[in-house]
Amino acid sequence: MKKSNYISIIMSLLTISFMACDDNLNIEPEQNLSPEVATESPANVKKILNNIYAVARDNSSYGGGIALASELIGNAGGISWNGTYVQPAEYNEKAILSDNSFVEGIWINAYDISNEANIVLSSLSVFTDTSEKDLVEGEAKFLRGLAYFDLARLYSKTYVPGSQNSQPAVPIVLTAVLNSSVIEYPSRNILEEVYSQVISDLTDAYNLLPSSNDIYATKYSAAALLARVYLEKGDYDNARAMANDVINNSGAELTATFDGAFNNEENSVEDLFAWQVTSQDASSNDFNVFWAGSEFGGRNGNPDVSIKEQHFAIYNDPNDDRALYFYVTARGTATTKWQNQFGNISFLRLAEMYLVRAESNFRKGTSIGATSLNDINLLRARANANLYNSINLTTILMERKRELAFEGFALFDAKRLGENVGSIPYSANRLVLPIPLREMDVNPNLTQNEGY
Amino acid sequence: MKIKTYFFLGLFFVSSLLMAQEKRISGVVKGEDGLPLMGVNIFIENTNKGTQTDFDGNYTIMASPQDVLVYSFVGFKNIKRTVGQETTINVELISDTTLEEVVVVGFGKQSKRKVTDNIASVSSSDINQIPIASMQGALTGKAAGVQITQINGKVEGGVKMRIRGVSSISSSQEPLYVIDGMPLINDDESVSEAPINPLISLNPNDIESIQILKDASSAAIYGARGTNGVVLITTKQGKSGKTRVSLNTSTGWSEATNKVKWLNAEQYVELFTEASANSYGAEDTWLTEAGGYFDWMSNGKDWRTGEVDTNWQDYALVKGSVQDHNFSISGGNEKTLSFISGGYNNTEGIVRGNSLDRYSFRGNLDHKISDKFRVGLNTGLSKTKISRIGTDNSFSTPLQAIAQSPLTPAYLDDGITPNNETSIYYNFLMEEFNGNWDVNIFRVLLNSYLEYQLLPELSFKTEFGYDNNNQTEEYFAGSLTQSASTNGYADANAIQSDKYNISNYFTYIQTFNEDYDFEFVGGMSFEESSRKRQYVAGTGFPSDDLQTVESASEITAGTSSRTKYNFLSYFGRATFSIMDKYLIKGSLRYDGSSRFGAANRYGVFPAASVGWIISEEDFIKDSETISLLKLRGSYGVTGNAGIGNFASLGLFGGTAYNQKSGLSPVQLGNPDLKWEKTNQIDIGLDFGILNNRISGEVDYYVKKTNDLLLNEPIPGTSGYTSITRNVGSLVNKGFEFVLNTDNFSSENLTWKTSLNLSTLENEVTDLPSGDIVAGRNIVREGETISSFYLVEYAGVDPANGNALFYKNTLNTDGSLDKTTTSNYNEAQRIISGSPYPTLMAGLTNTLSFYNFDFSFTLQGEWGSSLYNEGGKFQSGNARYEDNQTVDQLDRWQNPGDITNVPQARMYSTNGQQASTRYLEKSDFIRLRNLSFGYTFPRDLTQKFSVDRLRLYFTGINLLTFTDYSGYDPESSYDNLGNSNIEKGITFYSSPPAKTFTIGLNIDL
Repeated sequence: MKKSNYISIIMSLLTISFMACDDNLNIEPEQNLSPEVATESPANVKKILNNIYAVARDNSSYGGGIALASELIGNAGGISWNGTYVQPAEYNEKAILSDNSFVEGIWINAYDISNEANIVLSSLSVFTDTSEKDLVEGEAKFLRGLAYFDLARLYSKTYVPGSQNSQPAVPIVLTAVLNSSVIEYPSRNILEEVYSQVISDLTDAYNLLPSSNDIYATKYSAAALLARVYLEKGDYDNARAMANDVINNSGAELTATFDGAFNNEENSVEDLFAWQVTSQDASSNDFNVFWAGSEFGGRNGNPDVSIKEQHFAIYNDPNDDRALYFYVTARGTATTKWQNQFGNISFLRLAEMYLVRAESNFRKGTSIGATSLNDINLLRARANANLYNSINLTTILMERKRELAFEGFALFDAKRLGENVGSIPYSANRLVLPIPLREMDVNPNLTQNEGY
Repeated sequence: MKIKTYFFLGLFFVSSLLMAQEKRISGVVKGEDGLPLMGVNIFIENTNKGTQTDFDGNYTIMASPQDVLVYSFVGFKNIKRTVGQETTINVELISDTTLEEVVVVGFGKQSKRKVTDNIASVSSSDINQIPIASMQGALTGKAAGVQITQINGKVEGGVKMRIRGVSSISSSQEPLYVIDGMPLINDDESVSEAPINPLISLNPNDIESIQILKDASSAAIYGARGTNGVVLITTKQGKSGKTRVSLNTSTGWSEATNKVKWLNAEQYVELFTEASANSYGAEDTWLTEAGGYFDWMSNGKDWRTGEVDTNWQDYALVKGSVQDHNFSISGGNEKTLSFISGGYNNTEGIVRGNSLDRYSFRGNLDHKISDKFRVGLNTGLSKTKISRIGTDNSFSTPLQAIAQSPLTPAYLDDGITPNNETSIYYNFLMEEFNGNWDVNIFRVLLNSYLEYQLLPELSFKTEFGYDNNNQTEEYFAGSLTQSASTNGYADANAIQSDKYNISNYFTYIQTFNEDYDFEFVGGMSFEESSRKRQYVAGTGFPSDDLQTVESASEITAGTSSRTKYNFLSYFGRATFSIMDKYLIKGSLRYDGSSRFGAANRYGVFPAASVGWIISEEDFIKDSETISLLKLRGSYGVTGNAGIGNFASLGLFGGTAYNQKSGLSPVQLGNPDLKWEKTNQIDIGLDFGILNNRISGEVDYYVKKTNDLLLNEPIPGTSGYTSITRNVGSLVNKGFEFVLNTDNFSSENLTWKTSLNLSTLENEVTDLPSGDIVAGRNIVREGETISSFYLVEYAGVDPANGNALFYKNTLNTDGSLDKTTTSNYNEAQRIISGSPYPTLMAGLTNTLSFYNFDFSFTLQGEWGSSLYNEGGKFQSGNARYEDNQTVDQLDRWQNPGDITNVPQARMYSTNGQQASTRYLEKSDFIRLRNLSFGYTFPRDLTQKFSVDRLRLYFTGINLLTFTDYSGYDPESSYDNLGNSNIEKGITFYSSPPAKTFTIGLNIDL
């Protein structure tokens, strides 16, 4: 073969190899969808909605993080922190630093909920079926309302009924962020504005949602949450109305035993709304991680949050099931409420509605739905505690402590009711979470809470 | 076929008969030094007849008068002798001084003399004698401007190589590794946050040389991936001549470079009793009373009489061992060269339960098909098995045991079962007792080429390379471990990464008029990388002996994924030298990558350099003193594409709630995303004095990176925490100085010294988005990247034992308020140090004296600090229950006490907050390696047919000089091993190993 032949063969091979490849630079991700595709169909938008529940159930928020903050910051000696994490130790010591990553996690996650709800709400036009659209809108607003409610309660000074409530709360962001051009650097809205937004969202949810909706939010989940919000605001009329509505119309009923209300892998008849935990989400159940003994999946503090002698003073009947709802581990006493690693996390229980109605009726001197005494005795009877002949506000509130212990009410109730935490005044700066340092570092329009 | 053979044989006999005058010629071939040369090729010109010299340089050959004998040997000039009447021809070969040192550059080789770039070369002899499992580890201290740090003492631990500083904030900071022309997979595939060194599967003994391309002019030929420097690895090739069989075997032991002093039982009781009294009053005896907390800890032993005093550190840091065995067979002839090697390395780590076994094989083959065609195939195979331990941030990692109380017995009374009943934290010994964590890495590296000489001056080369990294990680935790509640847990994670690379290029070399040398290299390459992953986890095991997921009663997690990226590149480089004095080089690379948005997919990366060999000029040429003086300068643009495969796209990913599918926004899109580009200027001077007995290089460089690929933090209120944008710029600049001296050179004594020094100044020059704070580090305009950003500790108030901090708030005049406060929240953070050294140095001395050889490398770094994130637990004046460093005994006790350790207050914060209290300078000088060898006299070993027998001792990290009080100035927190910003943090991080080995080199 002649030299020129060799050369021409090689040259042509080369030409092929030089040209072949440009198309190969277009590679599509195999695990991800573009925002356009993700929001283009009703089926996809509903999947984003489903994910919001997963985000909310994350351990930093409703999977335990918010309740842990409330119980430890609101702790006046009834519980102790034995765990190795520094962040909860700071809560318990009421010496929170603004770089506390748990504090940051609650914030980041709440706004993730908010943004995804905004994405769903901005994509409603893809729905042609009105009832499907209402359902999706209602659920998204329920979740967004929930997120802002807890943001407001944690990062702002307490709501004072009848006042301006112009204390700085948290920024309200209602624009869906799907590309970088719409990123905002918002400043903090005042508390009144945030509560208005919460009530507006939850009221919409109440009006849009059906009374049953699998394990997702229903009309009565929204009503129950509204009852909680109104109670927090000291708006007892509305709180009573919502609680009464739930009790009469939701179809939910108290479980036969107190124990029946907890550690359920399927929602109980008492659950108005519960966060779902399956064996694949064990890491998202921080109630179990921090409150259970290590043989049940809890951490090495065994349990990290142990129940101290002082707590037992709230029980006034030794036979009260709730006074016995504990177990002893190698290093302390644990509450039985969060014993099942894979149990659902009850979030809105019917029992709370009886307590809201009882308290509101009592404060208003009414007996809409039932008398306060009857409501309270209903809960006591279920727990095999002796019944009252008469009650007052103190006994109602004590009943609330007994029934809802360790479920995340401690700090919020203390502030709402003006009860000091040990020697710390209920209005102290230390009982309000700092705006997370990373947010302060990145957004110049935010102001820090006093004391940080 | 057979008939043909006989025919030729017949012809041969006939011809021998015809050439009856042929006679036996013999002789000895020696070098200039008079020593016999073995393996010299001798052949009769224009025939196939030839032979080689034996061990003593002797040869015999049948030749006829008038035949021309050609003597050829690598590194020597060919010599021709015409056969006359004599029968003995002795020859002395003269070494070929025109043969210059050659360095490997991208897509070719260049004479070092003519190189106009800054390239650091490390040869096999520099690294082969260091029995260290990782290739990078052996390079430490050998090259100026290159910082190599193993994250911590775990054998598989990631290694960071920083060439001329850090040039990126969020994109990759790692150099590009290229082995025999094939860009390597260099992705950490660890299932935990602690990285595994992706190059751990390479056997350093197979490496012939390593070139580190530091300046832009040399690295720009790798365009979009050249910013962090390029490390070119060349594996060993066969050498023609006698087949050489080499064995290298070594064995040794190791221990931690340092241990820290912790409280013993008595001191622990003293300090914590006091801490409790300070918090709750001395009347509260919950710790010391019968049945109290101390009794619980000691689990039936009597701590009051000293029955228990556990030194947990000694359980965690143990004696390790190293075995390294290698053999190689190297040989070949005029047409074919081959190199075959096998290696085994076993490293038992100094951290309990951590070990590595590596089996490796390499076969390199070169063959000349004809005068014009050459082909070659390099193959490397290895299997690496690693026994892993938890990340630094896990109770299961051995070194976290130092937090346990000395009152807690390590084992139960049976002496076998770890005591997890009364330990404050999970007892790590349980992992070894009732768990398992193994990684198996299979790596296949293949590089083949075909080279064709089209014209004498033009050649074409096509290269095909393939790299497969197959890693399987299996974890099991039994019913006694932290997974007790689910009756055991197991997972398995499998990764298959592969990459292929095709390069085609022409090389044109022409000399015009003797004085003008021109060389051009031009071509293209295409590279595709893909990665697949499968993962499954399960719980509920019927028996602790059944440890794979198959036996799990419930599958709790599973995933699989696929991803891909590729690069398409065109490149060209021209070098031109005039009269061997004036050197000019230019190169251009055009790179496209799937990682960038369609609008910014391609980038152009030009570079140019010039050199002037002043010593060739007439006015200096005849100087006795100056043998080489070369001035060079280069400028070039390189890129960085070390970002996620789909960083420019907005992405939603699949999730689940209640086992129903969901879609989650995971990334904000940025279609404008483009390459990060670095402009680098380098000015250098190479010199050689007194016939190059003193030689060296001085360089100054300025490396400026613009359009930084930055994961810019954005307000969480947007629903996201960051977005990748091209914003900001940073600069690295510094001096590099290399000095090599032949201090003494005689027949029986030689002494050489090599010193390198480099300075580094890093500054973030533009950051429009404002400060980025991550953990304890900050990226701020005008400061070094990753500077420490901490509240400043001000010691202890002598009046009450409170920890004090400087407020450091801004006064109206702009100065800082240096008054102190005990309220931490009143104090502002300030820039308080840097995790990067500003000065690095390496000093290597090599001596040989008769049959003894001795070498050592000292390495030092100055200017960096380390922050101990575990300090609040370890040295926190008994705030937590954790055992404390002994210096905490200096705590404040009475009014008037002057100390830096605040009053001990159990469960009450007093000085444990993040502050400069836990920041320390980490300057050090280290005796990085030392070797001492003895080669047995040749006439002795020859009797056993052994050409060379050398016995040696090698030590690594034998001495460390530092004021740093923690474990080690180089060990850092492996959970942050892949973090770009959070640097210089340590957290229960184990120190590196100090290793002593003895070994044998045997050459047959």
